Amino acid sequence: MDFDALWLTLRLAVGTTAILLLVAVPLAWWIASGHGSGRALVQTIVALPLVLPPTVLGFYLLVAMGPLTAPGRLLIRIFGHPLAFSFEGLLIGSVLYSLPFAVQPLVAGFQAVDRGFIEAAAGLGARPAKVFVSVVVPMARTSLLTSAVLTFTHTVGEFGVVLMLGGNIPGATRTLSISLYDLVQDGNYAAANRTALVLIGFAMVALLAIYLLPSMRKVDGRQADIVR
Amino acid sequence: MEGRLTLSDSLSEDLLTVRMKHRVGAVSLDVSFALTHPWTVLFGPSGSGKTTVLRTIAGFVRPDAGSIARGGDVLVDRASGVFVPAHRRPVRSAGQTAWLFPNMTVRSNAVYGLGWSTKPDDAQKAIEETMRLFRIQDLLDRKPHELSGGEKQRVSVARTVISAVTYEGPSSTLLLLDEPFSGLDYAMRDELVGGLREYLMRHKIPVLSVTHDVGEAFQLDAEVIRIADGRVVQQGPASDALKDERQRLMSQLKSGS
Repeated sequence: MDFDALWLTLRLAVGTTAILLLVAVPLAWWIASGHGSGRALVQTIVALPLVLPPTVLGFYLLVAMGPLTAPGRLLIRIFGHPLAFSFEGLLIGSVLYSLPFAVQPLVAGFQAVDRGFIEAAAGLGARPAKVFVSVVVPMARTSLLTSAVLTFTHTVGEFGVVLMLGGNIPGATRTLSISLYDLVQDGNYAAANRTALVLIGFAMVALLAIYLLPSMRKVDGRQADIVR
Repeated sequence: MEGRLTLSDSLSEDLLTVRMKHRVGAVSLDVSFALTHPWTVLFGPSGSGKTTVLRTIAGFVRPDAGSIARGGDVLVDRASGVFVPAHRRPVRSAGQTAWLFPNMTVRSNAVYGLGWSTKPDDAQKAIEETMRLFRIQDLLDRKPHELSGGEKQRVSVARTVISAVTYEGPSSTLLLLDEPFSGLDYAMRDELVGGLREYLMRHKIPVLSVTHDVGEAFQLDAEVIRIADGRVVQQGPASDALKDERQRLMSQLKSGS
Protein backbone atom coordinates (compact mmCIF):
# COMPACT_ATOMS: atom_id res chain seq x y z
CA MET A 1 0.00 0.00 0.00
CA ASP A 2 1.43 3.35 -1.13
CA PHE A 3 0.54 5.80 1.64
CA ASP A 4 2.12 8.71 -0.23
CA ALA A 5 -0.29 7.99 -3.06
CA LEU A 6 -3.22 7.79 -0.64
CA TRP A 7 -2.31 11.11 0.98
CA LEU A 8 -1.81 12.75 -2.41
CA THR A 9 -5.14 11.39 -3.66
CA LEU A 10 -6.98 12.76 -0.63
CA ARG A 11 -5.33 16.18 -0.99
CA LEU A 12 -6.21 16.26 -4.66
CA ALA A 13 -9.83 15.22 -4.04
CA VAL A 14 -10.37 17.70 -1.18
CA GLY A 15 -8.73 20.53 -3.16
CA THR A 16 -10.72 19.77 -6.29
CA THR A 17 -14.00 19.57 -4.35
CA ALA A 18 -13.36 22.87 -2.56
CA ILE A 19 -12.44 24.74 -5.75
CA LEU A 20 -15.27 23.18 -7.74
CA LEU A 21 -17.96 24.09 -5.22
CA LEU A 22 -16.84 27.72 -5.37
CA VAL A 23 -16.95 27.64 -9.18
CA ALA A 24 -19.94 25.35 -9.68
CA VAL A 25 -22.44 27.03 -7.33
CA PRO A 26 -22.58 30.38 -9.17
CA LEU A 27 -22.20 28.67 -12.55
CA ALA A 28 -25.08 26.27 -11.82
CA TRP A 29 -27.24 29.13 -10.55
CA TRP A 30 -26.57 31.05 -13.75
CA ILE A 31 -27.51 28.02 -15.86
CA ALA A 32 -30.59 27.26 -13.73
CA SER A 33 -31.84 30.87 -13.78
CA GLY A 34 -32.27 30.37 -17.49
CA HIS A 35 -31.40 33.68 -19.05
CA GLY A 36 -28.67 34.51 -21.52
CA SER A 37 -28.38 33.03 -25.00
CA GLY A 38 -24.99 31.50 -24.25
CA ARG A 39 -26.59 29.04 -21.84
CA ALA A 40 -26.69 26.06 -24.25
CA LEU A 41 -23.06 26.61 -25.20
CA VAL A 42 -21.95 26.82 -21.56
CA GLN A 43 -23.93 23.68 -20.71
CA THR A 44 -22.28 21.86 -23.61
CA ILE A 45 -18.79 22.86 -22.53
CA VAL A 46 -19.54 21.91 -18.91
CA ALA A 47 -20.82 18.47 -20.00
CA LEU A 48 -17.95 17.80 -22.44
CA PRO A 49 -15.70 15.95 -19.95
CA LEU A 50 -18.50 13.39 -19.53
CA VAL A 51 -18.14 12.14 -23.08
CA LEU A 52 -14.54 12.98 -24.04
CA PRO A 53 -11.77 10.43 -23.47
CA PRO A 54 -9.84 11.79 -20.48
CA THR A 55 -6.68 11.58 -22.56
CA VAL A 56 -8.02 14.26 -24.90
CA LEU A 57 -8.49 16.72 -22.04
CA GLY A 58 -5.14 15.65 -20.57
CA PHE A 59 -3.35 16.15 -23.88
CA TYR A 60 -4.65 19.67 -24.46
CA LEU A 61 -4.03 20.71 -20.87
CA LEU A 62 -0.49 19.36 -21.15
CA VAL A 63 0.09 21.50 -24.23
CA ALA A 64 -1.70 24.53 -22.78
CA MET A 65 0.32 24.46 -19.56
CA GLY A 66 3.62 23.91 -21.31
CA PRO A 67 6.05 26.48 -22.72
CA LEU A 68 4.57 26.13 -26.22
CA THR A 69 1.61 28.47 -25.55
CA ALA A 70 1.27 32.01 -24.22
CA PRO A 71 -0.96 31.03 -21.24
CA GLY A 72 1.47 28.21 -20.48
CA ARG A 73 4.43 30.62 -20.45
CA LEU A 74 2.43 32.99 -18.20
CA LEU A 75 1.66 30.13 -15.77
CA ILE A 76 5.32 29.14 -15.73
CA ARG A 77 6.26 32.72 -14.88
CA ILE A 78 3.62 32.89 -12.08
CA PHE A 79 4.44 29.54 -10.46
CA GLY A 80 8.11 29.52 -11.28
CA HIS A 81 7.91 26.04 -12.81
CA PRO A 82 5.84 24.30 -15.50
CA LEU A 83 2.46 23.21 -14.16
CA ALA A 84 2.50 19.99 -16.09
CA PHE A 85 3.88 17.15 -13.97
CA SER A 86 3.12 19.10 -10.75
CA PHE A 87 0.40 18.93 -8.10
CA GLU A 88 -1.02 22.33 -9.13
CA GLY A 89 -1.31 21.15 -12.72
CA LEU A 90 -3.09 18.02 -11.54
CA LEU A 91 -5.50 20.16 -9.53
CA ILE A 92 -6.41 22.24 -12.60
CA GLY A 93 -6.92 19.10 -14.66
CA SER A 94 -9.12 17.53 -11.98
CA VAL A 95 -11.24 20.64 -11.62
CA LEU A 96 -11.98 20.70 -15.35
CA TYR A 97 -12.50 16.95 -15.58
CA SER A 98 -14.95 16.81 -12.64
CA LEU A 99 -16.80 20.00 -13.58
CA PRO A 100 -19.96 18.26 -14.89
CA PHE A 101 -20.18 16.10 -11.76
CA ALA A 102 -20.23 19.24 -9.62
CA VAL A 103 -22.44 21.42 -11.82
CA GLN A 104 -25.18 19.07 -13.01
CA PRO A 105 -26.64 18.02 -9.62
CA LEU A 106 -26.63 21.68 -8.59
CA VAL A 107 -28.46 22.80 -11.73
CA ALA A 108 -31.12 20.14 -11.10
CA GLY A 109 -31.38 21.18 -7.44
CA PHE A 110 -31.65 24.89 -8.17
CA GLN A 111 -34.22 24.32 -10.92
CA ALA A 112 -36.34 22.34 -8.46
CA VAL A 113 -36.73 25.42 -6.24
CA ASP A 114 -40.02 26.91 -7.41
CA ARG A 115 -39.85 30.47 -8.74
CA GLY A 116 -42.71 31.26 -6.36
CA PHE A 117 -40.33 31.21 -3.38
CA ILE A 118 -37.92 33.54 -5.16
CA GLU A 119 -40.69 35.97 -6.10
CA ALA A 120 -42.13 35.83 -2.58
CA ALA A 121 -38.72 36.83 -1.20
CA ALA A 122 -38.27 39.61 -3.77
CA GLY A 123 -41.79 40.83 -2.92
CA LEU A 124 -40.53 41.29 0.64
CA GLY A 125 -37.67 43.46 -0.61
CA ALA A 126 -34.91 40.85 -0.37
CA ARG A 127 -31.91 41.34 -2.65
CA PRO A 128 -31.11 38.45 -5.06
CA ALA A 129 -27.95 37.57 -3.12
CA LYS A 130 -29.96 37.27 0.11
CA VAL A 131 -32.62 35.17 -1.62
CA PHE A 132 -29.95 32.85 -3.01
CA VAL A 133 -28.17 32.35 0.31
CA SER A 134 -31.19 32.19 2.62
CA VAL A 135 -33.77 30.44 0.44
CA VAL A 136 -32.33 28.78 -2.68
CA VAL A 137 -29.20 27.16 -1.22
CA PRO A 138 -30.91 25.73 1.91
CA MET A 139 -33.71 24.31 -0.21
CA ALA A 140 -31.20 22.73 -2.61
CA ARG A 141 -28.87 21.46 0.10
CA THR A 142 -29.27 17.80 -0.86
CA SER A 143 -27.97 18.68 -4.31
CA LEU A 144 -25.02 20.47 -2.76
CA LEU A 145 -24.08 17.33 -0.84
CA THR A 146 -24.56 15.15 -3.92
CA SER A 147 -22.39 17.52 -5.92
CA ALA A 148 -19.60 17.50 -3.33
CA VAL A 149 -19.64 13.71 -2.87
CA LEU A 150 -19.66 13.00 -6.61
CA THR A 151 -16.82 15.44 -7.24
CA PHE A 152 -14.75 13.93 -4.46
CA THR A 153 -15.21 10.32 -5.58
CA HIS A 154 -14.81 11.10 -9.22
CA THR A 155 -11.48 12.79 -8.48
CA VAL A 156 -10.34 9.82 -6.40
CA GLY A 157 -11.10 7.52 -9.32
CA GLU A 158 -9.46 9.64 -11.99
CA PHE A 159 -6.82 7.97 -14.18
CA GLY A 160 -6.46 9.23 -17.74
CA VAL A 161 -6.09 12.94 -17.08
CA VAL A 162 -3.76 12.31 -14.16
CA LEU A 163 -1.51 10.07 -16.22
CA MET A 164 -1.34 12.45 -19.18
CA LEU A 165 -0.90 15.58 -17.11
CA GLY A 166 1.00 14.42 -14.05
CA GLY A 167 3.07 11.57 -15.32
CA ASN A 168 3.88 9.28 -12.46
CA ILE A 169 5.99 11.11 -9.90
CA PRO A 170 5.89 9.58 -6.41
CA GLY A 171 4.67 12.09 -3.81
CA ALA A 172 3.85 14.71 -6.44
CA THR A 173 1.53 13.22 -9.02
CA ARG A 174 1.25 9.49 -8.34
CA THR A 175 -2.33 8.99 -7.13
CA LEU A 176 -3.88 5.74 -5.91
CA SER A 177 -5.27 4.78 -9.31
CA ILE A 178 -1.83 5.28 -10.93
CA SER A 179 -0.18 3.42 -8.10
CA LEU A 180 -2.54 0.49 -8.70
CA TYR A 181 -1.56 0.46 -12.38
CA ASP A 182 2.14 0.44 -11.40
CA LEU A 183 1.67 -2.39 -8.94
CA VAL A 184 -0.05 -4.52 -11.55
CA GLN A 185 2.74 -3.77 -14.04
CA ASP A 186 5.23 -4.96 -11.42
CA GLY A 187 3.22 -8.12 -10.85
CA ASN A 188 2.64 -7.19 -7.17
CA TYR A 189 -0.94 -8.45 -7.07
CA ALA A 190 -1.25 -8.51 -3.28
CA ALA A 191 -0.46 -4.79 -2.98
CA ALA A 192 -2.60 -4.06 -6.04
CA ASN A 193 -5.48 -5.81 -4.36
CA ARG A 194 -5.14 -3.70 -1.18
CA THR A 195 -5.06 -0.49 -3.22
CA ALA A 196 -8.06 -1.56 -5.27
CA LEU A 197 -9.99 -2.38 -2.11
CA VAL A 198 -9.30 1.11 -0.73
CA LEU A 199 -10.66 2.63 -3.97
CA ILE A 200 -13.74 0.42 -3.79
CA GLY A 201 -14.18 1.53 -0.16
CA PHE A 202 -14.16 5.19 -1.17
CA ALA A 203 -16.74 4.60 -3.87
CA MET A 204 -18.98 2.51 -1.61
CA VAL A 205 -19.01 5.03 1.22
CA ALA A 206 -19.71 7.89 -1.17
CA LEU A 207 -22.54 6.16 -3.00
CA LEU A 208 -24.03 4.95 0.27
CA ALA A 209 -24.02 8.56 1.50
CA ILE A 210 -25.87 9.70 -1.61
CA TYR A 211 -28.48 6.97 -1.35
CA LEU A 212 -28.96 7.56 2.37
CA LEU A 213 -29.65 11.24 1.69
CA PRO A 214 -33.32 10.74 0.70
CA SER A 215 -34.18 11.02 4.39
CA MET A 216 -33.07 14.63 4.00
CA ARG A 217 -34.73 14.93 0.65
CA LYS A 218 -38.09 15.21 2.44
CA VAL A 219 -37.29 18.87 3.03
CA ASP A 220 -37.30 19.45 -0.72
CA GLY A 221 -40.53 17.49 -0.98
CA ARG A 222 -42.29 20.13 1.06
CA GLN A 223 -42.06 22.45 -1.91
CA ALA A 224 -45.22 20.78 -3.15
CA ASP A 225 -46.92 21.28 0.20
CA ILE A 226 -48.32 24.74 -0.39
CA VAL A 227 -51.66 26.49 -0.32
CA ARG A 228 -53.22 27.00 -3.71
CA MET B 1 -69.01 53.20 9.19
CA GLU B 2 -66.65 56.15 9.12
CA GLY B 3 -66.59 58.49 6.15
CA ARG B 4 -64.52 57.77 3.07
CA LEU B 5 -60.97 58.83 3.56
CA THR B 6 -58.37 59.96 1.11
CA LEU B 7 -54.66 59.98 1.70
CA SER B 8 -54.09 63.29 -0.03
CA ASP B 9 -53.37 64.99 3.28
CA SER B 10 -50.61 62.58 4.22
CA LEU B 11 -49.29 61.26 0.94
CA SER B 12 -48.65 62.48 -2.55
CA GLU B 13 -51.72 62.61 -4.76
CA ASP B 14 -50.60 59.95 -7.16
CA LEU B 15 -50.18 56.85 -5.06
CA LEU B 16 -49.71 54.89 -8.22
CA THR B 17 -50.40 55.41 -11.88
CA VAL B 18 -50.59 52.41 -14.18
CA ARG B 19 -50.78 52.40 -17.95
CA MET B 20 -49.92 49.05 -19.40
CA LYS B 21 -50.47 46.66 -22.27
CA HIS B 22 -49.55 43.03 -21.95
CA ARG B 23 -50.46 39.76 -23.59
CA VAL B 24 -50.67 36.60 -21.47
CA GLY B 25 -52.08 33.55 -23.17
CA ALA B 26 -55.51 34.41 -24.54
CA VAL B 27 -55.93 37.59 -22.47
CA SER B 28 -54.72 40.82 -23.91
CA LEU B 29 -54.45 43.35 -21.11
CA ASP B 30 -54.85 47.03 -21.77
CA VAL B 31 -55.45 48.93 -18.54
CA SER B 32 -54.86 52.38 -17.12
CA PHE B 33 -55.84 53.60 -13.71
CA ALA B 34 -54.58 55.69 -10.81
CA LEU B 35 -54.79 54.87 -7.12
CA THR B 36 -56.12 57.66 -4.92
CA HIS B 37 -57.64 55.81 -1.97
CA PRO B 38 -56.18 54.02 1.02
CA TRP B 39 -57.56 50.67 -0.12
CA THR B 40 -58.28 49.85 -3.74
CA VAL B 41 -59.62 46.55 -4.92
CA LEU B 42 -59.19 44.98 -8.35
CA PHE B 43 -62.46 43.19 -8.94
CA GLY B 44 -63.28 40.86 -11.78
CA PRO B 45 -63.83 37.29 -12.92
CA SER B 46 -61.06 34.68 -12.99
CA GLY B 47 -58.80 35.05 -15.99
CA SER B 48 -59.54 38.75 -16.43
CA GLY B 49 -55.91 39.67 -15.77
CA LYS B 50 -56.10 41.01 -12.19
CA THR B 51 -53.18 38.95 -10.95
CA THR B 52 -51.03 39.92 -13.94
CA VAL B 53 -51.65 43.61 -13.18
CA LEU B 54 -50.56 43.04 -9.58
CA ARG B 55 -47.48 41.06 -10.65
CA THR B 56 -46.51 43.79 -13.10
CA ILE B 57 -46.67 46.46 -10.39
CA ALA B 58 -44.67 44.18 -8.08
CA GLY B 59 -41.97 43.82 -10.74
CA PHE B 60 -42.36 40.15 -11.73
CA VAL B 61 -43.80 40.85 -15.17
CA ARG B 62 -42.34 43.17 -17.79
CA PRO B 63 -45.30 44.73 -19.59
CA ASP B 64 -45.21 44.75 -23.39
CA ALA B 65 -45.87 48.48 -23.36
CA GLY B 66 -46.70 51.29 -20.95
CA SER B 67 -45.42 52.70 -17.70
CA ILE B 68 -45.99 52.50 -13.95
CA ALA B 69 -45.06 55.30 -11.58
CA ARG B 70 -45.28 55.67 -7.83
CA GLY B 71 -45.42 59.35 -6.94
CA GLY B 72 -42.48 60.83 -8.82
CA ASP B 73 -40.64 57.49 -9.13
CA VAL B 74 -40.93 55.64 -12.42
CA LEU B 75 -40.98 51.88 -11.75
CA VAL B 76 -41.37 50.77 -15.37
CA ASP B 77 -41.38 52.68 -18.60
CA ARG B 78 -40.99 50.62 -21.73
CA ALA B 79 -40.54 53.73 -23.90
CA SER B 80 -37.45 54.92 -22.02
CA GLY B 81 -36.33 51.43 -21.00
CA VAL B 82 -36.67 51.98 -17.24
CA PHE B 83 -37.23 48.82 -15.21
CA VAL B 84 -36.74 48.88 -11.45
CA PRO B 85 -36.25 45.31 -10.16
CA ALA B 86 -38.86 44.01 -7.71
CA HIS B 87 -36.72 44.18 -4.58
CA ARG B 88 -35.88 47.87 -5.15
CA ARG B 89 -39.49 49.02 -5.60
CA PRO B 90 -41.29 50.83 -2.78
CA VAL B 91 -43.77 47.97 -2.99
CA ARG B 92 -44.38 44.86 -0.89
CA SER B 93 -46.39 41.97 -2.27
CA ALA B 94 -47.97 38.68 -1.28
CA GLY B 95 -49.20 36.27 -3.95
CA GLN B 96 -52.21 34.00 -3.85
CA THR B 97 -49.99 31.09 -2.81
CA ALA B 98 -48.39 31.39 0.62
CA TRP B 99 -44.85 30.36 -0.45
CA LEU B 100 -43.60 30.11 3.13
CA PHE B 101 -39.92 29.19 3.12
CA PRO B 102 -39.91 25.53 4.23
CA ASN B 103 -36.43 25.72 5.74
CA MET B 104 -37.46 28.41 8.25
CA THR B 105 -39.79 28.62 11.24
CA VAL B 106 -42.92 30.76 11.12
CA ARG B 107 -41.02 33.40 13.12
CA SER B 108 -38.15 33.58 10.62
CA ASN B 109 -40.64 33.68 7.78
CA ALA B 110 -42.60 36.49 9.42
CA VAL B 111 -39.56 38.76 9.82
CA TYR B 112 -37.87 37.81 6.53
CA GLY B 113 -38.71 41.15 4.91
CA LEU B 114 -37.15 43.20 7.69
CA GLY B 115 -34.34 45.48 6.61
CA TRP B 116 -31.86 47.41 8.74
CA SER B 117 -33.93 49.50 11.09
CA THR B 118 -33.12 52.94 12.45
CA LYS B 119 -35.93 52.55 14.95
CA PRO B 120 -35.66 48.94 16.17
CA ASP B 121 -38.06 49.51 19.09
CA ASP B 122 -40.80 50.75 16.75
CA ALA B 123 -40.13 47.85 14.41
CA GLN B 124 -40.38 45.37 17.28
CA LYS B 125 -43.67 46.90 18.37
CA ALA B 126 -45.04 46.75 14.84
CA ILE B 127 -43.98 43.12 14.47
CA GLU B 128 -45.74 42.13 17.67
CA GLU B 129 -48.86 44.07 16.79
CA THR B 130 -49.05 42.51 13.33
CA MET B 131 -48.57 39.02 14.77
CA ARG B 132 -51.43 39.63 17.22
CA LEU B 133 -53.64 41.00 14.45
CA PHE B 134 -53.11 37.89 12.33
CA ARG B 135 -53.24 35.62 15.42
CA ILE B 136 -49.99 33.90 14.62
CA GLN B 137 -48.24 34.44 17.99
CA ASP B 138 -48.79 30.81 18.96
CA LEU B 139 -47.46 29.45 15.68
CA LEU B 140 -44.07 31.15 15.73
CA ASP B 141 -41.92 28.11 16.54
CA ARG B 142 -43.60 25.82 14.02
CA LYS B 143 -42.39 24.94 10.55
CA PRO B 144 -44.62 25.74 7.55
CA HIS B 145 -45.47 22.06 6.94
CA GLU B 146 -47.06 21.94 10.40
CA LEU B 147 -49.62 24.63 9.52
CA SER B 148 -53.10 24.37 8.05
CA GLY B 149 -53.94 26.11 4.79
CA GLY B 150 -55.59 29.04 6.53
CA GLU B 151 -52.67 29.43 8.93
CA LYS B 152 -50.19 29.49 6.06
CA GLN B 153 -52.26 32.15 4.35
CA ARG B 154 -52.28 34.31 7.50
CA VAL B 155 -48.52 33.96 8.01
CA SER B 156 -47.90 34.83 4.37
CA VAL B 157 -49.97 38.03 4.48
CA ALA B 158 -48.63 38.93 7.95
CA ARG B 159 -45.07 38.52 6.63
CA THR B 160 -45.75 41.03 3.87
CA VAL B 161 -47.55 43.45 6.21
CA ILE B 162 -44.60 43.33 8.64
CA SER B 163 -42.25 44.10 5.77
CA ALA B 164 -44.47 47.06 4.78
CA VAL B 165 -44.97 48.62 8.23
CA THR B 166 -41.24 48.40 9.04
CA TYR B 167 -40.22 49.74 5.61
CA GLU B 168 -38.01 52.83 5.86
CA GLY B 169 -37.95 54.88 2.70
CA PRO B 170 -38.59 58.39 1.44
CA SER B 171 -42.29 57.53 1.06
CA SER B 172 -44.34 54.69 2.49
CA THR B 173 -44.50 51.41 0.66
CA LEU B 174 -47.45 50.23 -1.41
CA LEU B 175 -48.95 46.91 -0.35
CA LEU B 176 -50.07 44.45 -3.03
CA LEU B 177 -52.22 41.55 -1.84
CA ASP B 178 -53.60 38.87 -4.14
CA GLU B 179 -56.77 37.47 -2.54
CA PRO B 180 -55.35 37.90 0.97
CA PHE B 181 -58.42 36.55 2.78
CA SER B 182 -59.42 33.75 0.42
CA GLY B 183 -58.26 30.78 2.50
CA LEU B 184 -59.78 31.95 5.79
CA ASP B 185 -62.97 30.96 7.55
CA TYR B 186 -65.69 33.61 7.82
CA ALA B 187 -65.19 34.59 11.46
CA MET B 188 -61.46 35.06 11.01
CA ARG B 189 -61.96 36.89 7.73
CA ASP B 190 -64.47 39.38 9.18
CA GLU B 191 -62.23 40.19 12.09
CA LEU B 192 -59.12 40.49 9.96
CA VAL B 193 -60.64 42.59 7.17
CA GLY B 194 -61.73 45.31 9.58
CA GLY B 195 -58.62 45.10 11.76
CA LEU B 196 -56.15 45.14 8.89
CA ARG B 197 -57.83 48.09 7.20
CA GLU B 198 -57.67 50.18 10.36
CA TYR B 199 -54.10 49.07 11.08
CA LEU B 200 -52.77 49.93 7.62
CA MET B 201 -54.55 53.30 7.55
CA ARG B 202 -52.88 54.12 10.85
CA HIS B 203 -49.50 53.28 9.31
CA LYS B 204 -50.47 55.25 6.17
CA ILE B 205 -49.85 52.26 3.92
CA PRO B 206 -51.98 52.21 0.77
CA VAL B 207 -53.19 48.84 -0.48
CA LEU B 208 -54.11 47.40 -3.84
CA SER B 209 -55.69 43.97 -3.48
CA VAL B 210 -57.37 41.47 -5.73
CA THR B 211 -60.71 39.92 -4.87
CA HIS B 212 -63.85 38.52 -6.37
CA ASP B 213 -65.72 38.76 -3.09
CA VAL B 214 -68.37 41.51 -3.13
CA GLY B 215 -68.79 41.51 0.65
CA GLU B 216 -65.08 41.99 1.16
CA ALA B 217 -65.00 45.05 -1.10
CA PHE B 218 -67.90 46.61 0.84
CA GLN B 219 -66.44 45.76 4.20
CA LEU B 220 -63.12 47.34 3.22
CA ASP B 221 -64.97 50.46 2.09
CA ALA B 222 -62.66 50.18 -0.88
CA GLU B 223 -62.33 52.00 -4.14
CA VAL B 224 -63.17 49.38 -6.76
CA ILE B 225 -61.53 48.96 -10.14
CA ARG B 226 -63.56 46.50 -12.18
CA ILE B 227 -61.63 44.53 -14.76
CA ALA B 228 -63.18 42.37 -17.46
CA ASP B 229 -61.49 40.81 -20.48
CA GLY B 230 -58.30 42.71 -19.76
CA ARG B 231 -59.94 46.18 -19.67
CA VAL B 232 -60.91 48.51 -16.84
CA VAL B 233 -64.67 48.78 -17.16
CA GLN B 234 -65.42 50.91 -14.13
CA GLN B 235 -63.74 52.66 -11.21
CA GLY B 236 -65.45 54.09 -8.15
CA PRO B 237 -66.54 53.42 -4.58
CA ALA B 238 -67.83 49.91 -3.88
CA SER B 239 -71.36 51.20 -3.31
CA ASP B 240 -71.31 52.47 -6.88
CA ALA B 241 -69.19 50.02 -8.81
CA LEU B 242 -70.65 46.90 -7.23
CA LYS B 243 -74.27 48.07 -7.03
CA ASP B 244 -75.57 45.34 -9.34
CA GLU B 245 -73.61 42.55 -7.67
CA ARG B 246 -74.88 43.69 -4.30
CA GLN B 247 -78.45 43.72 -5.58
CA ARG B 248 -78.08 40.23 -6.99
CA LEU B 249 -76.61 38.93 -3.72
CA MET B 250 -79.45 40.49 -1.72
CA SER B 251 -82.14 38.99 -3.93
CA GLN B 252 -80.41 35.60 -3.78
CA LEU B 253 -80.45 35.80 0.01
CA LYS B 254 -84.12 36.81 0.04
CA SER B 255 -85.24 34.07 -2.32
CA GLY B 256 -83.34 31.58 -0.15
CA SER B 257 -85.31 32.47 3.01
